[in-house]
Amino acid sequence: MKKVSFLLSTLTIILVLFAFTPPVGRLVSSKTHIKFFSHTSVEDIQANNYASVSTIAPTTGDVVFSVPMQSFEFEKALMQKHFNGEDFLDTKQFPKAKLKGKITNIAKINLGKDGTYQANVEGELTIKGVTKPIKEKGTVTVKGNKIEVQSTFSITLADYGITFVKGKPASNIAKTVEVTVHAEYQSE
Amino acid sequence: MTLKKKKILKIGAILLISGLLIGGGTVLYMFNMPHRNVQNASPDFSLTASQLVTEYLENPTKANIKYLADDGDSKVLEIKGTVAKISEDFNGQKVFLLQETTDKAGVSCTFTKETSKNASTVQVGETITIKGVIRSGASYDEDLEMYENVVVEKSDLVK
Repeated sequence: MKKVSFLLSTLTIILVLFAFTPPVGRLVSSKTHIKFFSHTSVEDIQANNYASVSTIAPTTGDVVFSVPMQSFEFEKALMQKHFNGEDFLDTKQFPKAKLKGKITNIAKINLGKDGTYQANVEGELTIKGVTKPIKEKGTVTVKGNKIEVQSTFSITLADYGITFVKGKPASNIAKTVEVTVHAEYQSE
Repeated sequence: MTLKKKKILKIGAILLISGLLIGGGTVLYMFNMPHRNVQNASPDFSLTASQLVTEYLENPTKANIKYLADDGDSKVLEIKGTVAKISEDFNGQKVFLLQETTDKAGVSCTFTKETSKNASTVQVGETITIKGVIRSGASYDEDLEMYENVVVEKSDLVK
């Protein structure tokens, strides 16, 4: 009899534990695409990066992106050299950019249910060692086990100490560039 | 105008035009300069995935100075390691994670659309050697709460 009640209570404890376990564990993504796009009347320039890593904590809404800066690829080799160089992003000194934020409305996003949700992200973006606050919107798409995040926002280069006062870049690179983010997450 | 003056003028004009042509040609070349072909370059270093990860975890600053270049054309590496994971990125390029089970991080090697075909038969658990360009090092990131892998791109199998 004692054995049975012990078994029963153990079973109850296990069931209760399971009931309170969130349906989705920590989300990790190494399948990402980040694009820079700069438009001026002189030319359009874009760069693509497929090597960033991101995590989302479903309970707190914490979201992090780590971006290896030398992985940005441009059509023209010279532009890529300039981008990496000391006067621009200085990627040898600052090999990674980082976004660290919170999805403020995570409670309204059901990661266990298929659908498209709008996410409000607030946090900090660090580029070239300079950290600035950001507040952007994104979309979270849940389809089965696949969770995707998409967002497009603008950043002002001068905010991060990236300024061009003279020469070709001053006229050919926009002061504000558009950043497009796309990431596919897997639950850990 | 004397004959001598005419001759000087003529030489001057030829020099000016050839100077312009060379100058213009250089500008055009610089502007359209092709990307470095990583696979045609001979490797700067040949090592195992484990060695590279250890170097970065022990002293990231020193490793960055050793491997990264100011203009983004960083060191070309020949890396040997065990395939721990095979995936594909958003650009349709194959990504092989070379990591030993005893290591905290590995080396993520992205192939190109062209070289991905050369590695189509590679299986998880196999030991392979690749050549590619390093983009960033391995480290523990406290915000991600995980170890980040070394990133190597433009990779191909070394036979």
